[in-house]
Order: sequence, then structure tokens, then C-alpha cells
Amino acid sequence: MPLTNANRHLLVGLVLALSCSSSLALARETLRVLTWPGYADSDLVAIFEKRYDVTVEVTFVSTDDVLWEKINAHEGADFDVFAANTAEQTRYIDRGLSLPLDISNIPNTRHQLPRFSDLKSIPGISREGKVYAIPYTYAEMGLIYDRKQVKEPPTSMAAMWDPRYKGRVLAYNGSSHNFTIVALLLGSKTPFQIKDREFKRIVDRLIALRRNVLTFYSQPEESIELFRENSAALMFANYGTQQVEQLRKAGADIGYVIPKEGALAWLDCWAITRGVRNKRLAEQWIDYTLEKNVSSALTKRQGLANTVEPATSADSSSQLIWLQPVEDFNLRTSLWDRIISGDRPEKF
Amino acid sequence: MTGQKNSSRISFGIAFKLGVILATFGVLASGLTGYYSYTASRNLLVKTAERDLLTSAQVLGRRLSIALGEVAKDALLLAGIPVTARIAGAPDDPSGDPRKTAIADTFAALLAVHPEYFQVRLISTDNNGMELVRVDRDQDSLKRVVGVDLQEKGHYPYVFQASPLAVGQVYLSKIIINHEQGAHSGLDKPTLQVATPVESGHGRKLGLLVINVDLNGLFGLLKADLPGDFDVFLTNEWGDFLIHPDPSRTFGFDRGRRVLVQDTFERVSEIIQGQAESVLVNPGASARQSGESVAAFAKLAFGDVKARRFVILGLSQPLQNVLRETRLLGINTMQMVLGFSLLAIILSAIVSRAMTGPLNMMVRAAKRFSADHAIVDLPVTRNDEVGLLARTFRDMQTQINARLTELYESQRDVDHIARHDALTGLANRLMLYDRLEHAIAASQRSGRRIALIFIDLDRFKEINDTHGHAVGDKVLKAVSNRLKKMVREVDTVARLGGDEFVILFDSIDDPREIAIIAQKVIDGLRLPLEIDGQEYRMGASLGISVCPQDGDNATELLDKADLAMYRAKKAGGDTFRFYTSVAADEGQLRLVP
Repeated sequence: MPLTNANRHLLVGLVLALSCSSSLALARETLRVLTWPGYADSDLVAIFEKRYDVTVEVTFVSTDDVLWEKINAHEGADFDVFAANTAEQTRYIDRGLSLPLDISNIPNTRHQLPRFSDLKSIPGISREGKVYAIPYTYAEMGLIYDRKQVKEPPTSMAAMWDPRYKGRVLAYNGSSHNFTIVALLLGSKTPFQIKDREFKRIVDRLIALRRNVLTFYSQPEESIELFRENSAALMFANYGTQQVEQLRKAGADIGYVIPKEGALAWLDCWAITRGVRNKRLAEQWIDYTLEKNVSSALTKRQGLANTVEPATSADSSSQLIWLQPVEDFNLRTSLWDRIISGDRPEKF
Repeated sequence: MTGQKNSSRISFGIAFKLGVILATFGVLASGLTGYYSYTASRNLLVKTAERDLLTSAQVLGRRLSIALGEVAKDALLLAGIPVTARIAGAPDDPSGDPRKTAIADTFAALLAVHPEYFQVRLISTDNNGMELVRVDRDQDSLKRVVGVDLQEKGHYPYVFQASPLAVGQVYLSKIIINHEQGAHSGLDKPTLQVATPVESGHGRKLGLLVINVDLNGLFGLLKADLPGDFDVFLTNEWGDFLIHPDPSRTFGFDRGRRVLVQDTFERVSEIIQGQAESVLVNPGASARQSGESVAAFAKLAFGDVKARRFVILGLSQPLQNVLRETRLLGINTMQMVLGFSLLAIILSAIVSRAMTGPLNMMVRAAKRFSADHAIVDLPVTRNDEVGLLARTFRDMQTQINARLTELYESQRDVDHIARHDALTGLANRLMLYDRLEHAIAASQRSGRRIALIFIDLDRFKEINDTHGHAVGDKVLKAVSNRLKKMVREVDTVARLGGDEFVILFDSIDDPREIAIIAQKVIDGLRLPLEIDGQEYRMGASLGISVCPQDGDNATELLDKADLAMYRAKKAGGDTFRFYTSVAADEGQLRLVP
């Protein structure tokens, strides 16, 4: 999940600065980084360039699909290191576009929070005992509630179905996560792999959700507006702390919880392409981003959680469920399109 | 030669420089005038176009408001039909309610006359916003949706936001892409929903009447009579394009990639930030990606008035179309500028020639004057500075000529005095030598002989002593006159001093001829001279030398003639002797005179 509020000016400045510096230092070794806006700010890049006497070329992407295209273009030969979420990493490993990593070459991984230090427990980034990616930043999708209307903080996403809040719930207009959440609530151990026979039940639950919500939102700004203008009581925070921050800034008296069944979370990880020119340098880059000041800059500047400092929103005990590829994205989408259009259960 | 070149270059220089300066001024003046009139007209045209665009945008906005008002009226009309309220209040009847069919027919009739409507629906406010009656446009036909295909719409803004409205109020949705599955022609199309509550007779809200409007269809009607080169833009209050000549730039937010008007037309952000009601953008980037455009954007209240919702309507026109007339103007101006410039150049040439012509004339006159003191025509009749200069120059020439004439005359006198005998006016010794040397040189080239006759008067000393110098002088003058009469014009008669004369014959054929002349001279001088009424008689002794046989230089010839004369005198006078014959007669004698 990319940062949606990327700083355009910063980006332009960075690209300019990079193009200047790269033309000045042709002779130096170059590290080619493909990542998301906000993950490689120019001042932090400059420190790395100085320390290792190299040039860093940063290319930004804004969607998973563009990232996939760029890495795929010449079998990874155009870039050395890239960042993608756990659900995406799998297909890079499948295609052999990323390389197994030697963790001992990235010593700062030792300082990562326990949640991230057991890399084998994170789905999608290991294969046959080898680790292919290092977690860098994440955001979980918790539940926002209005403290005035909701006296007891909700403990489960099931609160969104609570008839007490009918017409005051805001849910997200996105197929994949909604299906996963319902599967999770129905006790599925494999919410990313819904079986065919389970779909009807989940669709019914989603129709029930539709009947209980005020509406479904798409953009974070839109969600803030809807929440405030319609005195919503609950909101599924697809954009996590970003929405929490925006609502608090707007003066809303809200709480934010990670439900007991766990919150879906995307986790962006660094991986090295198979076309890497200098693997050691790529490892040094990953190690550098895990330094405390670099990682905490991500939190301070972008409001994204990092992997070395405990997050303010979700304590270490809360369960985060890292995104994984789903069984059939297109099926979920087509079902969801009908659900949100208002089809009744008898049509499915 | 060099002088000629210099002077011609100078006169060309003055004419050329003057001409260039005048021509430059002329060209510059006409060029600047042309440029400024062109720029002014161009600006005027652009300003007019901007004003026209803004007016058109505002008119378009008003027409949009009116059109939406018409939609609202349709919705209110349908909502007001009593049967509508009765259906909305009735429990759902799966067997099919004939009243619903009647209402559906009414909806269909409305859709039939309004091609810009996608959908007309009656939606219940209960049952999660269940659709009760729904007629969709499906390509060219109309389709009534019934039974299980009817959907629950309670979670859409046009239901949950319109429901609280009072009867008679109308809700306008944001303009969105309609992703509602089963919407037939309206699926994935830019759509605007117009909704109004339906009430029972007892004031209970039962449902909503919703009309889906095809945004592009609506604008197709609205902009039908705009000029063809106008581009229409519509954005929402954040600047997202809803209508754009390039459809791929509309509804970017729907695809997760916003395309904002302020990125193309920067000034529109003033409207978005509430600083302006309308802006003109000139020149702005063209929506058609081909050159610049002139554009006007105006804010238009839209939907919820309390929430100050608005849209931004924009019109643009390619700058080149606006300036098409300017191009003609530019060509005309250019032709005029070229014409005037040419005129300026010709006039400058004429003027510079007129100015430098008299100067050149004076230069030529000065040259002629310095070469041969000729006075040529000068522009003395002009009444200007050139005329004055010419007159002054002419006076100066005249004065110089007068002085020169005097100088020549006095020089001629001096010359004459130097080369002539003061008493007789005959050539003196100096001139004789001069002539003799010339004659010797000429005889050496031609081979002709020359002869010298040395004359010494006999008995002159007695006359002089007896009658005085005055008489002596008169005698000498008379002898001179007689000698001049006896010889040819070309022969030189000289007086060496005292009573000695010499006659030079610079071209003789036969020495005998000279003997005859000598005898004639002797005879002539023997005749009595009458001076102051008294007769004087004299004789003369003549000595003759002939060149080349007697010598080839003046002194030798003169000495030999003198010697021969001496011999003649010694023989008693009144006779002549050739030097040659003297030498032959007397052998060495001439060496010991």
C-alpha cells in the first residue's frame, strides 16, 4: 500500500537533486533503488551516498502494478533494491526476480522489534528456509470509533454489524480486505484462501454489513469528511494511523483499536533484485534504512510505523495479520461489485 | 589617380552615411509603429476573446443551472403524482402491482423525451433503500427492472443524504462515475443523481424519486451551439476534471490517479481556494496539447448550498484561433512596414543625394580648379548654406585667379628682363646661349646646319664719342630694328653688349646662303641711319661660324664667329669672313690672333 499523501514538491526536488548529482558523479558506483514516495528522502539518501561514496538513483512508484512492471521489464536488471509488501513479495520470489538474503550482512535487523525479527513467521517473504525480504514499514487496519457515541471501545470488527450503530458505520469500498475480515470473523484460519463453499456465507455477511453501514468510502480524505459530516460512530481504518491522525487534526474525539481477532496490515519489505550489480551495497542500503534515525524519520515525516520503535497505535501484543495474496482476486472483486451495487442475497 | 579614389570614397561615404541614418530612422519608425499597433490589436483581441470566453462560461453555467432546474422539476413532478406516494407506502407486492406498471410507463415516457437521462427510479426509504420502480436506458431501448434485479441503495449518498430533505427540496449528488452493477447504459458513465423525497398525504416520508443524469449527454446539449473550437471543462470543487476534451483526463480520482485542473491551468486554484469567482488564463497550456490557449473558468454553485458545494466550468479556445485575425493584421502591418521602409530608403537616398550632390559638384570644381584653374558651374543660385558656400568658393576662385594672373605677369617681366637687352629689346647673351644650345641639340638630331653671324659695328665708337651716349643708344636701337627686319622671324638676333650683335640661324641648307645673308646685312647696315634729323653712316664687320664643322658647343661657335669677325675687321671692315675660310687661309693664325 503506497503512501497516498506523497509530498509532490519533495519528490520533484529529489528527482532534480538526484539527476544533478548523478550526472556529476558518473564515475562513482551507483545504487538503483525502486521504492515508494517517502521511503527514500533526499537528505537521508545524501548521507548514505557520502558514507559509502556512491551515487543513489531513486525511482518512485505509486502502485503495485507499476512496481511489478518496472522490476519485470528486464528481469530485474534495471534496479538493485526495491520495496514491496508481503502480499506482493510472493510473486517476485515465484518469478525468481528477488534473491535470498544473508541476514548476517544486515546487522541492524537485530534491532528490529520482535514482531519482525522472526522473519520465517512473516508470510510471503521466505521460501525453502531462505529469507527474501526485510520488513521496513507497515500500517495496520484497525477500527476508529467516536468516543462520544461509543462508550465501550469495541474489541472486534463485529461491531460494524452491531444494529445499535446502524447507519453510523463507515466501511471501506474494497473487495479483498472486506472478504478477509469477514473470513477472519467467521473463525477462518486461512482468511486469504477462502474456499468456494464459504463464499455464499461471507457474501451474506457482507450484505448484512452493507445494510448496517452509512456508506463505503474509498479515499482517506473522503472518509474524514463522511465521518465528521454524518456523525459516524465507527469506521474501518483501511489507511490506519493516517486516518487517525487526520481525524484528530480535524478535532474529532476518536479512539483507535486493533480488534482481538487481529488487524490486517500491509508490511513493506526491502528485497534485492536478481539483476543487482553490487549485492553488498544493496545490503548496506537495507541496513542503513533500519538505522534508528532513518526509520524514525519515516514515522515522523510520513506517519508510518517503523520496525525498530514500538508503534503508538498498536501495542506489541496486538495481532497483526500481514497481507497475503488472495485465492482469487477477480472473484472477490466481481462479487463485491454486486454487493455494493445493492444486489440482495437471493441474487447470489 | 589616388586623389580621385580618395575623393570619390569620401563623397560616397557622406551620401551613404546620411542615407543609412535617414533610412534607419524611417525603417525604425515604421517598424515600431507597426509593431506597437500589432501588439495592441493582438492584446485587444485576446482580451476580447477572454471576455467572450468568460461570458460564454457564465452563460453555460446559467444554462446548466436551468437544465438542472428542469431535471429537478421533472423529479418533483413525478414525486408529486399521488399514485407514486401510494406505491411507496404499499407493502412489497411480488405479484406485480398494476399501479407500478403505470408509474414505470410514466418514467419511460420521461426517459423517452430526455435522452440525457440514464435512469428514473422510485426508491423506498425503508428496506435498506430498496428500489420499487426502476426504468433504465439500455442502449437505444428502455428497460424496466423488476423482481430480484431490484437493488438496495440505502448506502448511496443519493439515498442517505436525500432522505432527510423536506418535500419540495431537491438533492444533487456529486458528479461521479456510476459503478452500480446492472445500471445498463449508465454503468461506468459520468453521472449526476437528482433526488427528491416522496411523501404520503400525512407528511410521512415514504421514498425518493431519483433521476440519473448523463453528464456528457447533458453537456452535449448545453454546448451544442458553442463555437466548434471551444473546449469545455468541468471540474469538481477540488479541481478533478469531470469533463475534458481528452476523456482520459476525466475522473482520475476514480482510477486512483487524480488529474487536477490547477496542474494545467494554475490560476484556477484561486477559485478552488475561494479567492476568486472566475479567472482568466492566458496564455495557458492548451488542452489539445498543441500550442497555447486562452481560457476562462467560472465557479458555479452546485448542489448543497449550505455546504457551499460548487463546480468549476471552463471554456478554452486555442490562442491561434483567437489570433487568426491578428495573423492577417500582422501580414498587413508587415506589408505596410515593408512599404514604408522601402519608401524611407528611397527618400533617404534621394535626400542624401540632394544634399551631397552640390557638395560633390564643389569637390569636382575644387579639383578642376586646382588642376587648371578653370572655373566651372557651381550651385551659386541656391538660397541655402550650400549656395553660400558655392558663392564664397566662387569668389575665392576669382580672387585666386586674379592674384595668379598678376604673379604670372610679373614673372614674365622678370623673365623677359633677365633674357633681353634692356636697350634694344633684343635677346641678351644668356638667351643667345640658351637658344644656341637648343639649336645645337636640334641640329645634332636633324643633321641640319646652324650658323652664327658675329657683327661688330664699324665707326660706332666715333659716333658715340662725338655725339654722346644718347645718340649712341639711339643708333644701337635703330641698328637692332634694322637687323630684325633683315632676318626671319625664327632667327635670333642678340646683342652681346657695346656694338656687338649676333644672329643665330638655326636651320640652313647651304653655307652659301649664309654668305648672301651676310652680304645683305652688311649692305643694310651701310645705309645711312637718320636719328633726330641727322644722318649717320656706319659699316659692319661680320664673322661667321657654322655648326657642325666649326664646333659643337655654344662657346666655341661664338668664339670662332668672333675670331672670324676680327679677321673681317682687320681686312678693313664692311666685309665678312667665314671662320673656315679664315682657318684655311691663315693656317695656325687663328690660334695666335
